[in-house]
Amino acid sequence: MEVTDAAIVAQVLAGDRDAFRVLVDRHSRNLYYVAYRMTGNEQDSEEIVQETFLRAYKALERFEMRANFGTWIYRIAVNRTLDFLSTKKTHMQKTYQITDEPDPEKNHEIQVETSQPGPDRMLLSAEMKAKMTQALGLLTAVERVAFTMRHMEGRSVEEISQTLKLKNSAAKNTIFRAVRKLRQQLEPFASVAR
Amino acid sequence: MNHLSEEQIVLHYYGDADGEDEVRLHLASCPECRGEFERVQGLLRNIGPIEVPEPPAVFEEKTWLNVRDRLPEKRRRWFAAPPKWALAGAMALLLVFAFIAGRYWPHHEDARKDLGNPQRVVLVAVGGHLERSQMLLVEIMNADDKAPLDLSTEQQQARDLLDDNHLYRLTAQRSGDPQIAHLLDDLGRVLAEIANSPSDLSPGDLEQIQHRIQSDNLLFKVRVVGSEVNSRVRRQDQNPPAGASQRL
Repeated sequence: MEVTDAAIVAQVLAGDRDAFRVLVDRHSRNLYYVAYRMTGNEQDSEEIVQETFLRAYKALERFEMRANFGTWIYRIAVNRTLDFLSTKKTHMQKTYQITDEPDPEKNHEIQVETSQPGPDRMLLSAEMKAKMTQALGLLTAVERVAFTMRHMEGRSVEEISQTLKLKNSAAKNTIFRAVRKLRQQLEPFASVAR
Repeated sequence: MNHLSEEQIVLHYYGDADGEDEVRLHLASCPECRGEFERVQGLLRNIGPIEVPEPPAVFEEKTWLNVRDRLPEKRRRWFAAPPKWALAGAMALLLVFAFIAGRYWPHHEDARKDLGNPQRVVLVAVGGHLERSQMLLVEIMNADDKAPLDLSTEQQQARDLLDDNHLYRLTAQRSGDPQIAHLLDDLGRVLAEIANSPSDLSPGDLEQIQHRIQSDNLLFKVRVVGSEVNSRVRRQDQNPPAGASQRL
């Protein structure tokens, strides 16, 4: 039978630092997926995973043995990602002017296939994926994280509120703001395709 | 008739709108809001999961190597295992003690045996440790799991045993005795779990620990290895080893 995460945590707390490796082996890949969905960058995701484990190790005394270690470290990873995106966003805003409005000039530069111009096909196109990445980049850090958790990972509003330490109503509003921004950015392309 | 807000429509897509039933009823009777909902739905349905490139097979290893050297030293709990230098010192003291015991207690039969074979001291100590651990595991297995329990005495024993366990496990590893080292590794995890459980153990917690002991066959293994260790002591008494390279 596999040793539980809680037993490994107890071993680490008893002084066996190397036992922490088992937790890294078990959880790092999943955390990488989470970080990548939110950052879209391999190197950033690797860095976030490492920072997550360092933070978890430092906070290990606060881990409740009855809790699920996977959930606990997932929350740390999400908050590390949030910090990372906030810092990156601040840095980028200093460098570039970001607008919430879609640029109509650029809209018409997108090549849309006209033989089968259904919105589904259009949305799946490479151009649309690029536009999607760009649109996600316009979300604030918390909007991006909340949207990813709800839309991509299917997490409930309660989980999102607990992870991001928000009230349920604030979590819902954050998701809504994210979707509204995505609509502003992406719907003009859907209408061009029709 | 008031139309739905954009927020209600977006949240309804996820089933998160306040008053979901009313939203649904309204959508059934209002073509304008339904059209808006379909636009939202059309967009969101097409935002699929982000494709995550699979990290390399050595990703976990790489992560660990990057993390390991940056892990700060943890302040050990008072019952936690001592550092390695202390273990080495303790082992040296143990051997010196065995030597002195043999020298100053020349009429004692066992001490004379230890003088010729210091490993015997460690073997006897490991045998005693396994016996004490076995008693603790039996107590835990026989504890009543129907009511909340106070296992503080057993937890204290587990903490004490955990210290010794760490020492003996390292010694077994160093002397190339994987069977004992492996058993002590498994035993250490269970002892740590007992030692770190809440003092007012619930029946569920106890059941979990009992299940662990049972599924690992730990009690059986402790008995078998304990008996083998005792046999080795007896064999060594009859045929003392010539060199110091003898395993535990």
